[in-house]
Amino acid sequence: MWATNLKVVAIVLGTLALYTLIANKIPQVESEVPQTLTLGANVTPEQLVAAGEKVFNGIGGCTTCHGLGTRAPNLLTDEKGTGAIGVRCGKREAGKTCKQYLYESLDQPTAYIVAGYQPIMPVMTKQLSPQQVWAVIAFLESQGGTVDVSASDIPATSPTSPTSAGGAGGAGGAAFAGGSTDPKAIIQAAGCLACHKLDGQGQVIAPDLTHVGSRRSAESIRRKILDPASSTAKGYERLAGIMPKAFGTMMNAAQLEALVQYLAAHK
Amino acid sequence: MTEHLLLGLQAAADTTRAYGEFPLIGARAAVWIAAEVHLMFAAFVLGVPMFAVVAEAIGIFGKDQRYDRLAKEFTRLLLVAYSATAIWGAVLVFFLATLYPKFWAYLTAVFGPSMWAYAGLFFCESFTLYLYYYGWDRWKYGRPKLGHWSLGLLLNLWGTIVMFIANSWLTYMMTPPRDITPTTDPATIKLWHAIANATWMPINVHRLIANVVFGGAIVAAYASYRFLAAKTDEERAHYDWMGYVGNFIAISALIVLPFAGYWLGREIYQYDQSMGITMMGGFMSWLWVIQAFLIAVLFLTGNYYLWIGMGRIPGAERFRPYTKYLLIVLVLGAIVWGTPHTMIADSKELAAMGGSHHPFLGALGVMSAKNTAVNLMILTTFLSFLLYRRANTRPVVPWAKSGTMIQGAMFALAAGVVLFYGIRGYFVEAIVRIGFSVYQVLAVLGCIVAVTVIDVLMGRGAQSLGAIQWGKMPPRSQYALFILAVTFTWLMGLMGFARSGIRQYWHVWQVVQDTSKYAATPALGYASKMISLCVLIFLTLVGFVFWLGGLAEKSTFVATGDREGGGGGRHVGH
Repeated sequence: MWATNLKVVAIVLGTLALYTLIANKIPQVESEVPQTLTLGANVTPEQLVAAGEKVFNGIGGCTTCHGLGTRAPNLLTDEKGTGAIGVRCGKREAGKTCKQYLYESLDQPTAYIVAGYQPIMPVMTKQLSPQQVWAVIAFLESQGGTVDVSASDIPATSPTSPTSAGGAGGAGGAAFAGGSTDPKAIIQAAGCLACHKLDGQGQVIAPDLTHVGSRRSAESIRRKILDPASSTAKGYERLAGIMPKAFGTMMNAAQLEALVQYLAAHK
Repeated sequence: MTEHLLLGLQAAADTTRAYGEFPLIGARAAVWIAAEVHLMFAAFVLGVPMFAVVAEAIGIFGKDQRYDRLAKEFTRLLLVAYSATAIWGAVLVFFLATLYPKFWAYLTAVFGPSMWAYAGLFFCESFTLYLYYYGWDRWKYGRPKLGHWSLGLLLNLWGTIVMFIANSWLTYMMTPPRDITPTTDPATIKLWHAIANATWMPINVHRLIANVVFGGAIVAAYASYRFLAAKTDEERAHYDWMGYVGNFIAISALIVLPFAGYWLGREIYQYDQSMGITMMGGFMSWLWVIQAFLIAVLFLTGNYYLWIGMGRIPGAERFRPYTKYLLIVLVLGAIVWGTPHTMIADSKELAAMGGSHHPFLGALGVMSAKNTAVNLMILTTFLSFLLYRRANTRPVVPWAKSGTMIQGAMFALAAGVVLFYGIRGYFVEAIVRIGFSVYQVLAVLGCIVAVTVIDVLMGRGAQSLGAIQWGKMPPRSQYALFILAVTFTWLMGLMGFARSGIRQYWHVWQVVQDTSKYAATPALGYASKMISLCVLIFLTLVGFVFWLGGLAEKSTFVATGDREGGGGGRHVGH
């Protein structure tokens, strides 16, 4: 019986050892905790690029999709003959510098969906601190282009939008849209038109809001803004979860109400 | 300046006693071990009553005492494992309260009343179990026997509710309702709102099935040990049969488990795309390659056990030549399923590879190829079982030949559908491709159900080619059952790491951040050591409690006689 017992023990230990060995032979990737990136006023482009590369390959999780694969555009070598991201970023949108384009792509990932790809990218300005975001931009610019990110960019959270929630604390309600209760300023600041169409402007990724008041009551619109998961328009089920849920914490009550009434009036 | 100082003091106050420390291994490892071992025991004590009550029902309504005896033996294992479950549950609670006091306070603020209900139901479950086991011989016949069987049903009901409650706590940590933010006072969160979160029901269903798989595998390992230690042919025959039943339960439930897994994965993606991407393509991407390897071991070992088992069935020799083809399909399927796809890598590694996919093998790493491979492996395993089932019979119904041809056509059709959508998947967008997996799964399930129905009808009055020689199994078949049990347990630990690890540095996803020194989620190498340690602790303890249970057991096996209990060389059924 001892021989049997020993065989059983050997099989159990051998099987455990095999699985443990295999799991230790594959590449070891740890999910790090985002660290505060401190970049001084004299930070050099090289330092920014180095920091950005670390974020890109690490906690940013960018290589998950933006490797050289098929899930998202290739940023590092070539995307269908257009070159690396540093080469093409300045030509992607007329009137936008490379820096502006890259920031918007991180802040409002659904603003520019490259043909053939799904709108799956999370809002990186909510996941990373402004320092990390700008370091990544510097790294991306360095991929075939010229790095023009400097320390002066970092305190200003956006070259095009004053509303980034940022990864390190978020924007306060008073700062949102400069505190304005003008619905158009709020819509602009919230980036609604990156996905929604309204009065002939904006994208058609998410439901057209031009006649939203005829479909939804003010209460329903308010609930949708505060809790985007509360309902999903028919035909847009696969985009469920895309709409940011932070609007309720970004706007103050007056701004929210102004936006709700404005949209509800769009019959 | 003063404001900053005050904020700093407040932050310091907030983190005071947020975390405790555990000697030598640290707080995270301590909680990890306690939670994992508790979960393994809990899965066992929740899974086994499900098939114990089914076995008892077969015994009652099929008037087959073997099954009643089997059900009682299942329950005896349950009884001794139950106190270990409770002990490890208490250890987990103490560790959480002392090592993660602030987070524990948060959870109790949200879920307090459900924790009281949990404790109350645990009492109900315990005493129902005692009644169920100790009343077995007292309420053995007639109407009282039905009452006894009802106790088994009640035991399952309590256990399921208890598990659903505990699942709500852990799924809340993964997918808290979207309106809950870091500033939400936990005391204001409605209990049901927190319970009914996005992944609660998928986890409930997934765990229900997984518990059956796990329970079956552990019972089979227990039976295999008893088989190896048996002193009489009767005893060997009984434990051979018990091992077969345990393995059959585990493999059968395993086949449907991936569908519950798909549902859970879909809910995770719908809740938060970035969480889904982290799980499937982020730092956890290699985990799925390991998982594929483990599943391949399960399929290969499970089939190997069936093929060896055919050696004890008269008439099975006519099917033996086919096993090599089945083996080829399984090996090829395992290779395809284990092919890596999108790997997390840094920019230099990606450039060195020439892409995130291997230029040649990358084509096999995509979901189209993997879904095709796994569906064909399921079909092959089912075919193995079918051959095993028909081994010692010859159908006598007049339509036997055409029935067999129809069965063959169904296999061919199902394989054709799987291959067609597998190839077609390369030429369509991802969103369309995902839908194809449903057609592949339906084709396989449809084939399994239809072929089984035909087989049962065709087997009516079938000519017997001889009884199964239960007990006539080489020892290597029993060691295969051990490998299955270890692999199932390890796989459970791995998937637990995946589910918990995708929260990364959050106790509650994007609501309560983990600010301890263990906040980073470890790499798979470290996780594998922890999983192996937990499996070793669990198997050692389970071996010990089974040995303890055996001390009080009076053997009913004798070399001859007692045909009701053993049945060596007598059973024809499966």
